[in-house]
Amino acid sequence: MSLPNDDNMSAHSQLSSHFFEDLLDSIIVDVASECHRVARLGLDRNFEEEEEELRLSAQARARVADSSNNGETNSKYVVDIFGQTHPAVANEIFECMNCGRSIVAGRFAPHLEKCMGKGRKARLKVTRSATAAQNRYTRGSPGSSYSSYSNSTGMNRLSNGASSGVAGEEYSNGSFEEL
Amino acid sequence: MMSRNSMYTNPKPCKHLADYKLRHGLSGYNLLQEQIRTTPSGKSSVKNHQTEIPRCCFCNGYQKRLYLCLICSSISCSSHTLLHSQCENGHDIAVDIERSELYCVLCCDQVYDPDFDKIVMLKHLMDLPRSGNGVDVSAGRRSSKRRRLCSALELDLKKTKQLVSMRDLRAKSCYPLGLRGLNNLGSTCFMNSVLQALLHAPPFRNYFLTGQRNHEVCRKRSSDRLCLLCDIYVFFSAVFSGDRTPYSPAQLLYSWWQHSANLASYEQQDAHEFFISVLDGIHENGVKARSPIKDTGECHCVAHRVFSGQLRSDVTCMSCGYTSTTYDPFMDISLNLDTGNCPSTDLANKSLKPSDNTYVSTLLGCLDLFTKPEKLGSDQKFFCENCQERQDSVKQMSIKRLPLVLCLHIKRFEHFPVRRMSRKIDRYMQFPFCLDMNPYLSSSVVRNRFGNRMFAFEGDELDTSTEFEIFAVVTHSGTLDSGHYVTYLHLKDQWYKCDDAWITAVEEEVVRASQCYMLFYAQKMLYYKANEDLVCQPVSPRADPFLPIAGCC
Repeated sequence: MSLPNDDNMSAHSQLSSHFFEDLLDSIIVDVASECHRVARLGLDRNFEEEEEELRLSAQARARVADSSNNGETNSKYVVDIFGQTHPAVANEIFECMNCGRSIVAGRFAPHLEKCMGKGRKARLKVTRSATAAQNRYTRGSPGSSYSSYSNSTGMNRLSNGASSGVAGEEYSNGSFEEL
Repeated sequence: MMSRNSMYTNPKPCKHLADYKLRHGLSGYNLLQEQIRTTPSGKSSVKNHQTEIPRCCFCNGYQKRLYLCLICSSISCSSHTLLHSQCENGHDIAVDIERSELYCVLCCDQVYDPDFDKIVMLKHLMDLPRSGNGVDVSAGRRSSKRRRLCSALELDLKKTKQLVSMRDLRAKSCYPLGLRGLNNLGSTCFMNSVLQALLHAPPFRNYFLTGQRNHEVCRKRSSDRLCLLCDIYVFFSAVFSGDRTPYSPAQLLYSWWQHSANLASYEQQDAHEFFISVLDGIHENGVKARSPIKDTGECHCVAHRVFSGQLRSDVTCMSCGYTSTTYDPFMDISLNLDTGNCPSTDLANKSLKPSDNTYVSTLLGCLDLFTKPEKLGSDQKFFCENCQERQDSVKQMSIKRLPLVLCLHIKRFEHFPVRRMSRKIDRYMQFPFCLDMNPYLSSSVVRNRFGNRMFAFEGDELDTSTEFEIFAVVTHSGTLDSGHYVTYLHLKDQWYKCDDAWITAVEEEVVRASQCYMLFYAQKMLYYKANEDLVCQPVSPRADPFLPIAGCC
């Protein structure tokens, strides 16, 4: 910051820039004094470790960016570490614990939703299923204190989409993405 | 290895300060005490004349730093302190009157003395309103932290080792136990990702593996009703059984939907919401089985024992310095991303060019932001008990007590209320593998607010460790409404990627470069003990997993 040329300035602005400089100097010394104290009393953070972590992360990002440019990272899995492969939709079959039917694992959640009478689509229907009625819990009263300080609107969620190939249905919360 | 504690190191006085103390003791300090005034923002100054400004006795200057001699009270500016010391023998120690810091003229350096700090602090505290000064000088209760840590370790070694040795010898190859894929049951990767982290949270895992939860005699199960805790117990047993084929957590999904009726639907879900909901379910299921704890009122369900900590919130009146302090428990901490921008700028006005902002967000930056003093807006004026009116105030958060396992949730969403729109923030955030939470503790934050004076603040707990090691990272890719969750686990020096049914080994750099959403850190000691229990060495992926390895299992 270059100092204003004294000749060009009125006495008024000279005075105000002097005051400003004094204030600025004082604040700078405040910070220096605080840092000096922190260093002398051994209260400072372990900057070496912090810098090392930052360096490792920067290095990692560079390497990962490189390998994706070179096409090394394959998005498709061939085998897992146990030598197994898995289909896109989990094909294990088991019994639904609500209705007893045999269900394919990868379709279990949508089935259970209808079966239990939960979920948006099911709620629209007028079902008087006995199991649904007796198993309905209400959430506990605000006696349980969880993240009470945080903003817990339904908007703060990162959803996961239909990875199992079922066509994505509703969008949650009526929010829409901006590109 | 000694962990850094929140207490200061007592600096050795210079020869001149030592001489001064020998000759004058505390008399100089005591005389000065009356003149010390501290502003509500914590800056202490020496003000001897209310009507005159202090001037240097040599040059009459009033700018630059001014120093008050501790022996004769004459004032010199920084250019003339040496002169004063030459004129008057032994007048080597002075006080910076604007900052109440000791200065040794002959060493030309700021020096420190705990006795002086104590005097400054006592005057400061005397001037503050009786209660609500933000400093708890009353004799505190003995920390229950040590007890908690010990009981956590009890959940631990011996039994787990026995259990581990009896495990199913079908365990293919020598990968760590408890490493098993989870089938996606239809958009349930939000659940799978959190379950992988819970499976490897040290005290949580030990609790469910050592049969502390005796599900045979669970009252609910015997009457054919659902019990979330029992289902989790069954889940843990299955995953740690040694069977490596992917497991379908169907019963758990069913059980969880029973508990959280409002979240029970096949639609896009949030992993963090699930995490909180599951802990809530464990708490409610467990709370009846346990008698309330008499002394501290803390809950002893496994969810609380492992994940709960305590936050401190201080609101300080900017007029008089009165501070109102409240404590709240937490199961996790949600952090806003530090973007390097001033928080008061209107989001809509910010330029959206990504190239403008080369600032890299870091976890420590987010934590700094979380514990930063925040000026409350004029619409949020705080009613000060002392002033008896609404005043501008400053709020500051800090961590009073750390949990055994710390879950940090990164808020990757932006809301635009005017446009009624939300967006996910894909910005990269650096996070460390080793995390020292010391700077964010209440003891550190409060001390800092009082100018880091050497003083016995209550809550300086020497026996608690603040060092954490990361063991799980839940990442999200995609948009707010549709995307995919994947968890990375750190087991025995190797990182594994858990993508629903697929478990693969990855390099550390993949994890460092990933877009994290939830970070799980365990207290260092617990993390290392837990890794000793997993009795296996990694095998090269090229080796035939069906051939037994000599000397293993």
